[in-house]
Amino acid sequence: MSDETERLYQKRLERYVTAMQNEKPDCVPIRPFAAEFAAKYAGFTNQEVTHDLDKAFAAVRKCAADFDWDATVGNMVYVWTGLTDAFGTRYYTTPGIDTPPDAAFQYLEPPDEESAFMKADEYDELIADPTGFLANVWLPRISREVVPPGQPNTYRNNLAFLKGGMAMLHYYARYGEQVSRLRAESGTVHAIAGCLKAPFDILADKLRGFRGLCADIHRQPEKVLAACEALRPHMMYNALAGADPEKKVPIAIWLHRGCTPFLSPKAFETFFWPTFRKIIEDLHALGYQVLFYAEGDWNANLPWIAQLPERSIIFHVDRADIFEVHQAVGHKFAISGGVPNDLLAYGTPDEVRQRCKEIIDRVAKDGGYIMDAGAIMQDDTSIENVRVMTEFTREYGVY
Amino acid sequence: MTEKQPEPKTRPGVCIPWEERKKEYPRILGDEQVVKKVWEEMDDLAYQFIWACLIQF
Repeated sequence: MSDETERLYQKRLERYVTAMQNEKPDCVPIRPFAAEFAAKYAGFTNQEVTHDLDKAFAAVRKCAADFDWDATVGNMVYVWTGLTDAFGTRYYTTPGIDTPPDAAFQYLEPPDEESAFMKADEYDELIADPTGFLANVWLPRISREVVPPGQPNTYRNNLAFLKGGMAMLHYYARYGEQVSRLRAESGTVHAIAGCLKAPFDILADKLRGFRGLCADIHRQPEKVLAACEALRPHMMYNALAGADPEKKVPIAIWLHRGCTPFLSPKAFETFFWPTFRKIIEDLHALGYQVLFYAEGDWNANLPWIAQLPERSIIFHVDRADIFEVHQAVGHKFAISGGVPNDLLAYGTPDEVRQRCKEIIDRVAKDGGYIMDAGAIMQDDTSIENVRVMTEFTREYGVY
Repeated sequence: MTEKQPEPKTRPGVCIPWEERKKEYPRILGDEQVVKKVWEEMDDLAYQFIWACLIQF
């Protein structure tokens, strides 16, 4: 790494961290999350970056080298078939296998109770031993290869665990190299470290399915609450396992089902919020920030979010009114995002410039703001518009 | 919650607790802590594999 690149890295890191602490850096930091957009920019298909780690990582590094971004993520196309196909994971459609090479991967929720990965009468088993339930019940259901205990073992069952474990170690080792290369080659900060999910989201996304869980909150609400509580220490442990030891970059949480119209405010307060709030507060007490990636529109939940400790989160705005967010919680938390993905895909450069100007004028004027799209950028995102968002923010977002 | 939940069978980071594994050795002639440390480190990797499948992949 050259001294100049390292100086750039340190300058960007300070800018990014300062903004996340809701303070005023030298200029507005820029931190886009480039998923399939990176493939498009680098000239790869979605199939190539889903299957080939070298290409997935190279695509992000090319973005980081060409755009003046302070921070980004090493790979946002997180379905790598080296792991998911070797393990026989059922819940994804994969470009180049189930869908055309230029389609993005998709998550498939089981359509009915019969095919749910956790049944309505299995809460007690999950609550008593979450890890045992996952290993003995859940993994055999989500994998085409894994057989449950008590069933005749198979060659492919043994290989699924062997290949899956080796693939995960390989992925994380390569990911560490990617983080180092982003720093050394373009002076780019890795934006997040560690992965957190809300207990309720885990139940909805991967265990009961959202529809099944909606029935459960009426039919067996105590079980849902107890399951969230049983999952909570595991969410905390896993978040800390990958967190930044220097506590500079935040732990990321992608929030799915807590917002309207999925949950009413009352259901949110009852089921989603208690364990989730406790996790954020516990992480804050340990000195960690959480990137609160509020997918959809979370503004109906702002009264609860405003109760979190000051600077405990960076509130990321997807489809909500960013100005309302700023008014409600801008005094407590830094804010990111707010540039709509459909604008970046279908808007004109002038419209993108106008939106960035409005956000910088009204949200970023006292610091505490990080420029970003509303959600991760897929391959419908216009390269020209991303360039405009980046260059305009650099020019206009100087304090 | 109205009813008190039982203590979980295993803690976060644990698939097979050391206490359970230790009973399977006829004896440990050397430093037990060395054996325990390595067992727990590898057990934690297995735990992380299972939970990363759920949370990340």
